[in-house]
Amino acid sequence: MALDALLALPGASIALQAIGSLMAVLLVFVLVRALGVGSDVRIADEAEARALAEAAHCGFDPIEIALDRARIGALLRNRAGEVMLIRRHGARFAARVLSSHAGARLDRGFLTLSTEDPHFGSITLDLGERAQVWAASLRRLGARA
Amino acid sequence: MTNFLAPMLASLSHPISQPIDVIAYAVPVFVAMILIEIAWARRHAPDAYEPRDMLTSLLMGLGSTIAGALVAGMIYAAATWLYAHRVATVPYAWWSWIAVLLLDDFNYYWAHRTGHRVRWFWAAHVNHHTSQHYNLSTALRQTWTGFLALSFTFRIWPAFFGVPPEMLLTAGAANTVGQFWIHTEAVRRMPAWFEWVFNTPSHHRVHHATNPLYLDRNYAGVFMFWDRLFGTFQPELDEEPARYGVIRQLGTFNLLHSVFHEWKGIVKDFASAPWRYKLAYLVREPGWSHDGSRDTSDAIRTRWLERNRHLAPDEPQRMADEGIAVSHP
Repeated sequence: MALDALLALPGASIALQAIGSLMAVLLVFVLVRALGVGSDVRIADEAEARALAEAAHCGFDPIEIALDRARIGALLRNRAGEVMLIRRHGARFAARVLSSHAGARLDRGFLTLSTEDPHFGSITLDLGERAQVWAASLRRLGARA
Repeated sequence: MTNFLAPMLASLSHPISQPIDVIAYAVPVFVAMILIEIAWARRHAPDAYEPRDMLTSLLMGLGSTIAGALVAGMIYAAATWLYAHRVATVPYAWWSWIAVLLLDDFNYYWAHRTGHRVRWFWAAHVNHHTSQHYNLSTALRQTWTGFLALSFTFRIWPAFFGVPPEMLLTAGAANTVGQFWIHTEAVRRMPAWFEWVFNTPSHHRVHHATNPLYLDRNYAGVFMFWDRLFGTFQPELDEEPARYGVIRQLGTFNLLHSVFHEWKGIVKDFASAPWRYKLAYLVREPGWSHDGSRDTSDAIRTRWLERNRHLAPDEPQRMADEGIAVSHP
């Protein structure tokens, strides 16, 4: 009886269908995760980092590239002094041209970077000895801005 | 054959009392095809699927279905109002069904083209392009805000000329279903005649690509000849593999950001722009800015052509025909 009354409410059938569909979607998600679909992508070398930069920003021609040791991200600088951050996003890569050094934090060989886009998230790059040099150079972005 | 065809054609002459929910009938097929494609990906292309990306796509599809269900009545009512004030009457017949399917596909082409060239409509459509993957789940990554953008106006005007709303909305749903299968990398090329007539995975990979050569091309829904007719056709080139997504990749799987990010961008730009430019941020192409600080797809293609003209020797002329300035080094 209570169920009949519930189903008689306006929009009840849509709500029930939505709940059922949501359960099905989550089930497919669990299944796909269990199957191990997706891949552990890494930036193979500087040439790939260069290609990723060109794909992200047509005409971005880096003259200096620093790859994360695990190859999950990279920093690239072009002749104009612009710095691009590339980071792994799922099984692909995403990039942003940095506008300031405000989101940069140095901890020995690790450089943590975030951008002005909070949804882009932050990434910690293991750059080894080059981390300090890059951190110092990023400060110039703030000065330019 | 005649025994089979005659009753079928006769049945198409019977009026229908409400739009046929073609999409609801197709959902089990969608799910089955996605599962088959996942099995294919596991063996042949493991990175074709990313679980979180797929989850975002499916949830966007679910949200779009709910949004669609909530506004379907209003769109139906608007089409019915137009039909009530019609200037002619199109009868139910096998030929009128074919004509309406074709007409709706033509309308889809222009709605879709506008959806890429006018930021207001792009804000609703961009959702569909936010995945960096291209698989059948991407097909379900549909808008939640199409009604808000008034995109449906491109599709219901034939009711004023006598097309029954039920026929029109059924054709629209069939068009949506007909575009599902083209969202895959599992199919390389269809036979040449099929590629000429119909939209295919190859043609639609181009449409979803961010490669400069491929930007704002191949808007077709089901029939490919609209792009050939209106100068927006671009074949997929083997030497230019498609990269998918949007110019400024989101870098997040956040559902709500994927759905609303362009609307947020419009609000921000509209609020901060000088008065004389405010309207332009709604009606100009995506990427346009009053100070030239951003890139439109035309600007990106022009820059790319300066270094890759050998890949697209006809492109400068085509852009010039469209009134786009192209340098001639």
